[in-house]
Amino acid sequence: MSENQKKILEMLANKKISIDEAYRLLNALKTEAGAPESSTEAGTTGKPKPKYLRVSVQPGSGHEHDDDVERVNVRVPVSLIRSGMKLSSLLPPEAKDKVTGALHEKGIDLDMRNLKPDDLETIIEALNDLEVDVVSRKEVVKVFVEQ
Amino acid sequence: MKRPPMVMRVQIHGKEGKFPLWLPLFLLLPLALLLLIILSPLILIAITILRLRGRGNELSPVVRASLGMLCSVRGIRAAFDVLCSMPGLRVDVRNRNERVYVSII
Repeated sequence: MSENQKKILEMLANKKISIDEAYRLLNALKTEAGAPESSTEAGTTGKPKPKYLRVSVQPGSGHEHDDDVERVNVRVPVSLIRSGMKLSSLLPPEAKDKVTGALHEKGIDLDMRNLKPDDLETIIEALNDLEVDVVSRKEVVKVFVEQ
Repeated sequence: MKRPPMVMRVQIHGKEGKFPLWLPLFLLLPLALLLLIILSPLILIAITILRLRGRGNELSPVVRASLGMLCSVRGIRAAFDVLCSMPGLRVDVRNRNERVYVSII
């Protein structure tokens, strides 16, 4: 029991504060104690920050022993994605236009010129919820993040 | 604290046999630093030329991008950041007869 918790309980015993107030103060202390950990390990949403982006291709059910199916396991550190995006911010506008055009041709509507560092952090935080499962008869493709 | 990768592990298994390789990247880093120091006068000349010629407006965007990234402190720093973010990268592709495994530690 911490010194602050003792003080709150003493104040409650001495009837200086009500039960509700003591409860609120104890809760506030708990939140405060948990804050440093969450600020280092978790993002602004309170979720732990993603560490790795994983892409896995495995044989589907019934094909586990089928050696013709390629097994792919890729683990990309999220920090590498972040650094790569920062590196891309150094591209001159003409090159960004070309990249945007090439992406558009492939059906991806992503404007490289509008990507800001804040957006990048939001995208990386949003990766926490990313989970792609493509299941076919032969293969199972999974894209997910690891904390 | 960010640190550059220390070791790169490459394994290639084929029909002919196995080819495991441990690349000590920490030994290559002093060489890269030495190369950067040797090339720094050339980088400085390239920066000066780019600035005098209006950042090379007549060059193609790709060449401009490459030169711009090479010839700026921000570019070198960003490239070093990418290098430092590489530990943990792992690629494993295999089928019946072959396997390619690359891991950066």
